Amino acid sequence: MITPEWAAAAPTLVLGVTALVLFAFDSIDPESSNNPVLAGIAVVGSLAAMGVSVAYLVAGVGDPAVELYGGQLVVDGMALFFQVIFTSVTALVALASYDYLEDMRHQAEYYILLLLAATGMSLMAAAGSLAVGFVALELASLPSYGLVAFLKQNRGSAEAGLKYFLIGALSSAVFAYGISLVYAVSGSLLIDAVAGSVRNAGQPGVLGVGVLMVLGGFAFKTASVPFHFWAPEAYEGAPAPISAFLSSASKAAGFALAFRVMTVAFPIEGVVGAVDWVLAVQVLAVVTMTLGNFAAATQENVKRMLAYSSVGHAGYVLIGLAALTGTGDGGLVLGAGMIHLLVYGFMNTGAFLFIALAEYWGVGRTFADYNGLARRAPLACVAMTVFMFSLAGLPVGGGFVSKYYLFAGAVNAGVWWLALVGAVNSALSLFYYSRVVKAMWIEEPAEGVDVSSYPSTLYAAVITAAVVTVVLLPALGLFSGFAFDAAAAVLF
Amino acid sequence: MSNPWIAIGALTLVSIIIPVSMVVVSALLRPSVPEQGKTAVYESGEVPTGDTRIRFNIQYYMVALLFVVFDIETVLIFPWTVIYRDGVQQFGMAQTLVPMLVFIGVLVVGLAWAWRNGAVQWVKSTRARDTAGSTE
Repeated sequence: MITPEWAAAAPTLVLGVTALVLFAFDSIDPESSNNPVLAGIAVVGSLAAMGVSVAYLVAGVGDPAVELYGGQLVVDGMALFFQVIFTSVTALVALASYDYLEDMRHQAEYYILLLLAATGMSLMAAAGSLAVGFVALELASLPSYGLVAFLKQNRGSAEAGLKYFLIGALSSAVFAYGISLVYAVSGSLLIDAVAGSVRNAGQPGVLGVGVLMVLGGFAFKTASVPFHFWAPEAYEGAPAPISAFLSSASKAAGFALAFRVMTVAFPIEGVVGAVDWVLAVQVLAVVTMTLGNFAAATQENVKRMLAYSSVGHAGYVLIGLAALTGTGDGGLVLGAGMIHLLVYGFMNTGAFLFIALAEYWGVGRTFADYNGLARRAPLACVAMTVFMFSLAGLPVGGGFVSKYYLFAGAVNAGVWWLALVGAVNSALSLFYYSRVVKAMWIEEPAEGVDVSSYPSTLYAAVITAAVVTVVLLPALGLFSGFAFDAAAAVLF
Repeated sequence: MSNPWIAIGALTLVSIIIPVSMVVVSALLRPSVPEQGKTAVYESGEVPTGDTRIRFNIQYYMVALLFVVFDIETVLIFPWTVIYRDGVQQFGMAQTLVPMLVFIGVLVVGLAWAWRNGAVQWVKSTRARDTAGSTE
């Protein structure tokens, strides 16, 4: 508990206020090229929000859950845990953007949109009603469309922004329609109240369609099949730090809302007569994992490979929902999904920031262009190697532990075949991740690649992400309890 | 017994059949006299000039966006003023006035930002400037 109660929403408020400070700074000095101040405000603001959410998590503010505005906002352990993910990714991305945006126009707008999107994500994690969830999802999505198209003179970026926007608008419509159907059956938008009235719902058909449509909205935000088409295009066309932001933070935000809505509003034992959404998520998880990893294995472009691998990782995290069969420990597997998103927030952000570094140097986009990069930039390449092996699930980083938790949770819940598919996919993913490592360390360097400068903040962000990824391997044991407790508190 | 959806379904069916059948029947009955004048763009009997795709100034869009700021502001202030007196009596000044001031403050920051970044600055296109110069 905390007094005053509204202070429980502090991580979201800090992010919002930081965006307003950036607005004010840009009003005083429009067309500012004072990049250090802009990046500094964004980094300090997101670090402050991260500090607050970590402090709240440790102090147990979310236990028992704090309900604000009659339950419209719920600040519990899960909300705070996800807010830690969003704020840390935002801080890394803002730090890396300092060098990436060098000499570009509209820098203030870039950081403002970044912070506004982070505010929306933080609100998504704490949404206590479907209406707040929808508005927060839009607050997170609309700035993202602008950010993807930020390099507006670049055809790829503009095209990616348009595709992202069109698919986003479509899935928002599907999501909103699903909410309206759920409301028609349950008569409430509050997640808790929906749970009470769907148990003996009068119109199971309408409820079933509504639940599936809501699930479709989450599939878009998390880049899962069947709404994953935008992901490779958007991640490839966007500025690389934004690809990092979208594929880590935005995906985690989608899962934050999905975890809360699916588990709290539609408890499976209550709605199984209308729709067996656990079965639907199981199918989605298998298809998403397999499709993402196979598509990634066939790519020649490193950024596109990472985009498809990001789709594959959405499939792994979906196990967190797919294994809520009622048998076994639901809190274990849901918490494992949260932990995987935390680790993924660092290792995947780091990998995309390495791409940003390569774009900064003007290195090409394919695997072959990375040949021999380790001789010119050994430190960054060590970091990239850590990211790649951790993404594949080798025990060099936290990715090993979080995948282990996920698969163990799935086996514990009696869906061992999900764990099997996940393990086979992880083995496949090692193939294409190691191609990057092989290119960097073993292949002979190509002629003409010139690594002349070492951008300090981009380097700092990549190294920080790598250090945290490695540290998470032993450290996860210390605080994974937070995730498991938070997940269990949401479930029961 | 009688399901009201049967009546609605029948009505839907009729409302689809009538326009479709009208089009089909008239297409079967009428004589076909193709003529160039029939395919021309209809402009109230005038001789058509130009095509339908004109470009208009993007700045109307900015003005429309700024209008939304004031629009939302009004929508929320109106009900607030209605309950303001009761609200002050029941919850006190701080809980009634401050949230609205914060809300308006956020909008003012946004408006000031848009203003400073030239959203209300009317820039003429080079062509408009040229024609203005030639008439003077």
